[in-house]
Amino acid sequence: MELQDTYYNKSEYVETASGNKVSRQTVLCGSQNIVLHGKVIVQSDAIIRGDLANVKTGRFCIISKGSVIRPPFKKFSKGVAFFPLQMGDHVFIGENTVVNAAVVGSYVYIGKNVVIGRRCVLKDCCMIEDNSVLPAETIVPSFARYSGNPAKLITTLPEATPDLMTEFTKSYYQHFLPTTVS
Amino acid sequence: MAYLTQPDYVKYICSCGQLKPITNLYFCRHCLKIRCGFCICHEVDSHYCANCLENMPSSEARLKKNRCSSCFACPSCFHTLSTRATLARDPAGGDGKPPKKMYYLSCFNCRWTSRDVGIPDQPVASGGWPERTNPFTTRFNQLLDYYKAIAQQEKQEKLDKERKKFVTRGKYINLTDKTGLTGAMARNIAGLPSSESSSSVISNFVPSQASPDVEELPDDYHLKEIDLKQITRISQRTSCPELQPSLASRLSPRPRALCVKRSQRCRACDHNLTKPEYNPGSVKFKIELLAYYHVPEVKIISYETIKPGGTSALLLKLSNPTAHEMTVKMLQPEDVPDQEDEHKTIEKTLEKSLNLEKDISWNASFPRRPPPPNAGSVNLPAVSLTLAQRDDAAEYDDEPPGDNDDIILWRKSNKLALRLKLTTDAQAKVGSNAYFSFALQYSYRNTVPPSATVVQHSDHTLYTTLILDLGKVCE
Repeated sequence: MELQDTYYNKSEYVETASGNKVSRQTVLCGSQNIVLHGKVIVQSDAIIRGDLANVKTGRFCIISKGSVIRPPFKKFSKGVAFFPLQMGDHVFIGENTVVNAAVVGSYVYIGKNVVIGRRCVLKDCCMIEDNSVLPAETIVPSFARYSGNPAKLITTLPEATPDLMTEFTKSYYQHFLPTTVS
Repeated sequence: MAYLTQPDYVKYICSCGQLKPITNLYFCRHCLKIRCGFCICHEVDSHYCANCLENMPSSEARLKKNRCSSCFACPSCFHTLSTRATLARDPAGGDGKPPKKMYYLSCFNCRWTSRDVGIPDQPVASGGWPERTNPFTTRFNQLLDYYKAIAQQEKQEKLDKERKKFVTRGKYINLTDKTGLTGAMARNIAGLPSSESSSSVISNFVPSQASPDVEELPDDYHLKEIDLKQITRISQRTSCPELQPSLASRLSPRPRALCVKRSQRCRACDHNLTKPEYNPGSVKFKIELLAYYHVPEVKIISYETIKPGGTSALLLKLSNPTAHEMTVKMLQPEDVPDQEDEHKTIEKTLEKSLNLEKDISWNASFPRRPPPPNAGSVNLPAVSLTLAQRDDAAEYDDEPPGDNDDIILWRKSNKLALRLKLTTDAQAKVGSNAYFSFALQYSYRNTVPPSATVVQHSDHTLYTTLILDLGKVCE
């Protein structure tokens, strides 16, 4: 099925010169530490905790409603330290998902209501299904499809996943349109 | 990715008769046929650990029973264990030495730790974990040697039998026949162990014996209360088949199973369909002959509800993934010419060029499942449609909207949208699946460099049949 158009209220979203579309109803803490690399959509009620550490996303990332992007911490003998969170290109993060990963590769699909534990590493081309919980420090290999609580490898993804994911995020961006003022 | 999150609305019929979405299909450009995971040969390219991404040669992997030597899985919940560091407290207390770092394994999912089962902390972060040895290792090895010897013996007997058969027909007398020197004798002379030496393993082998004495059960066996928290689950026992711990205190970390990188090969012509790069972290392929890159892709944009006896509109999107212009014509599935003869000639010439006569009769021996019955028919336009080649730069161009007419809704670089009419059978049952099928005739330019011996056409007309799943027939 071809993606359907999703409409947004033009006054609600800010569009930057590089094509990022960021809702005004988001919580972007420490915005000087957040880098969105262009054509990224951040939807309403999303939280990005740039005040803890740097958050970097690639191009064509979609951060859906109510999701939380939070850099992970590590406990040391003398207190805790936060680590930057890096995200590749063409990443989709579903609604109400919490991402505490250290690295999210490119062409990654994370479903809705997912919890990605702290310091997880999601390699390029992987998929976490809806309602999964990834325990802390899990490494998800390429072309793996994880599901469940705790999330386990259930199957593999087709070889064309990079192109499928590129097409998906690009068409999502193209179908994310402002409501036309009549 | 919509393909992976949605049900498969559009399915293609593979050359073996399976119905698959385009993402799960391969396209052999030597046979010019669609192949699927069912009718191709899967090969293991390399072994790697999914956790530490370390490559392991296949011989080493076999030796280590396909398990990683540095990563462990939790014996309780099978999640990967993490190494945690603690500062060891000195039991003597305060002799001025700095506290030493000690490491233990811990599961972040179920909070199982190696301390729970009394495994002592290790002074190094990786390796050195005690392995629980199987009490039956020697017996196992004995059995293994025994069966190897038997296999060897049987192989030898078979060889001898074949040689005897062959000797009678021989035109020339070879040296061993003339002198009566057999292979075994020659080996004896050379001082090598003769093949009969394997029989020593066989003769020395002691079969296991049943003993009449069985240990008595303890008196309180039926009366003792069971603490279910201390008893392992079946999955926990079977994850470790050689030990099968029945008590939670006997669980031990399991080395993590390895993953493999696979390459696919066409069974008809033995050409590679996919070949991944060696590096486990890489998502690139050296060879990637997927249907998604060669066969026109059909997507449903929208459709009206299907009613018995009614007509409904269907909007389809066709796209050309190849780097050449493509002419597409839609046909009824029964109008597809029998391709077997046409393709045989291509296959034959290729096979001749490679001196290969592949037996692909297995393919025909499988019963082909007939495609699901159609709920009606698609009224197809009788015109050929031309799809431009794929152009990655096209998305940056502002192109004028293409030609519109009553069939073509819009046209954008290598894509076009079609408006079609569906006629549903009056007899279609309400609530039954609304399947519609049609075939595509498409031109395909083969870019395989022609070999010196075979003159190959580069332009082909190919056919593929699709099945659209349009939900249920409604009232």
